[in-house]
Amino acid sequence: MTLPTINLDAKRSYPPRVTAFTKRFWEALGEGKFLATVCQACQQKAFPPKPICPHCWSNKVAWVDLSPTGELYSATTIHAAPAAFANEVPYRVAIVDLDDGLRIATKLIGDHVPLGSRVEIVVLQYRDGPLFAARPLEDSH
Amino acid sequence: MQNVAIIGSAALPIGRWQTKANDAEQVLEHEVIARLVVEAMADAQADKTDVSAILFAQPRPYTLQKYFATFIANYLRLPCNGIVAELMGNGMTAALAFDAAADQIRLGRARVALALGVNFETATPAIEHMMSSMRTTGDVDFHVPFGFTPISWYAMDAARYMHEYGVTRAELASVAVKNRGHAALNPIAQFRKPITLEEVLAQKPIVEPLGLFEVPPRSDGAVCLVLASEDVAKSIGQPYSLVRGRGFFHEGAHQISEVPNDMIALTAAKVAGQRAYKDAKITSRQIDFAEVYAPCTIIEVLVSEALDLVPKGGGARAAVAGETRLGGRIPICTSGGLQSRGHPAYVTPLYSFHEAFEQLRGRAGERQVENARLGLVSAELGNYNAALVHVLEAQS
Repeated sequence: MTLPTINLDAKRSYPPRVTAFTKRFWEALGEGKFLATVCQACQQKAFPPKPICPHCWSNKVAWVDLSPTGELYSATTIHAAPAAFANEVPYRVAIVDLDDGLRIATKLIGDHVPLGSRVEIVVLQYRDGPLFAARPLEDSH
Repeated sequence: MQNVAIIGSAALPIGRWQTKANDAEQVLEHEVIARLVVEAMADAQADKTDVSAILFAQPRPYTLQKYFATFIANYLRLPCNGIVAELMGNGMTAALAFDAAADQIRLGRARVALALGVNFETATPAIEHMMSSMRTTGDVDFHVPFGFTPISWYAMDAARYMHEYGVTRAELASVAVKNRGHAALNPIAQFRKPITLEEVLAQKPIVEPLGLFEVPPRSDGAVCLVLASEDVAKSIGQPYSLVRGRGFFHEGAHQISEVPNDMIALTAAKVAGQRAYKDAKITSRQIDFAEVYAPCTIIEVLVSEALDLVPKGGGARAAVAGETRLGGRIPICTSGGLQSRGHPAYVTPLYSFHEAFEQLRGRAGERQVENARLGLVSAELGNYNAALVHVLEAQS
């Protein structure tokens, strides 16, 4: 499935660095896919994606589509930000437990909902490249 | 293995000391710490010639004098058989310096060792400082681009704690009021004017649900502790504190575990605490007071629970009930806590050891815990992903 994409007429405040390995993740994200690595030896998924399985240290990893839904584990609104983010305050961030059994930390957008609510991952397409974010699932309806 | 004692200490009042780069007259880190070394050694009544290891908390990047430990070895002419080094581990930095100095004594590599540090940072505005600190508490490529700040992780602990235990923000905020009451009695604390719960709740939000008085201020500070083998401590004949137990654990996670866990259980603190109690051959019930590393109110609550000083889910309410206040069942952060004592992060744990030492030798003045015999000091990094816990015992 393809993630909903939100186009933003802005540049990312602090763009991620891209490596020969993580390039695949960021390019796929730009095309609406949310990827993780999965270990071919022990089958565990990892996020952020890694060229080495953090569990068994096998270097035989493959890319896998993540189910882009999960539960809001926690969230906060940041009012005091580093210089790079000063023009975004206040903004929200969250910890999300994905249905695939991975915990991630990301930006939070959309309606204010209680912890435990269902959220989905969306693509934020900036002028200079993509980021991802979580938003309450109801927003997509 | 030698028993380790704290025999002397000196600390700079916490506040704003750092001068700006273009100020004609500068306050410089090495002069500040050199004076404290001499003061701490005079307090210890130890011989300069016995000092044989120097373990520094690494200074902030703003300290222009690099290789600071070896610079001071020269500045104070301190030849050493034990090691001379700077340690670094985020919030745990100064506790690692203490731990390494203690190891030098344990191993017999030094009879007297200095655990010390100076953290000067306030000349750099928070907005700029955070450009660096945001990269210490998260993945630079997969977290930082979203704008997480170090204390935003603690704020998410608070949100989760309130969600799971039905605790109110006011109950959490009562920790800040309690700590300010302690700081009012501490001459070296940064903020000493008593505050009310209403004032705490009325502050501007910083990282919701936490407001200005529930998060740490920016601070400069410097501390020197003198450690020695117990036989040296006994020969001097003054009261000292014995390192009775020690525990460490890193949970192998950075801010969050990608395998979902109970984030607010602070597993590292729980494991390190149990190890320290076991090492000291005591239970948590025997602890008379605790100086915990807790930048935000919520973290004092969570670490107190993880260390089994208050019941799980009951930490904030224990503060409301006065159990963790001076005079209560288990006084926590009698020095004022990081919100009010101040938070020169790379030396903060040394201030906690300093307070524990003052309490255990009955020199804490108006904030003295009655019959203080066993004290606990904790330090952490990240979102308590690692914890280092020490149990100290009074010896006279």
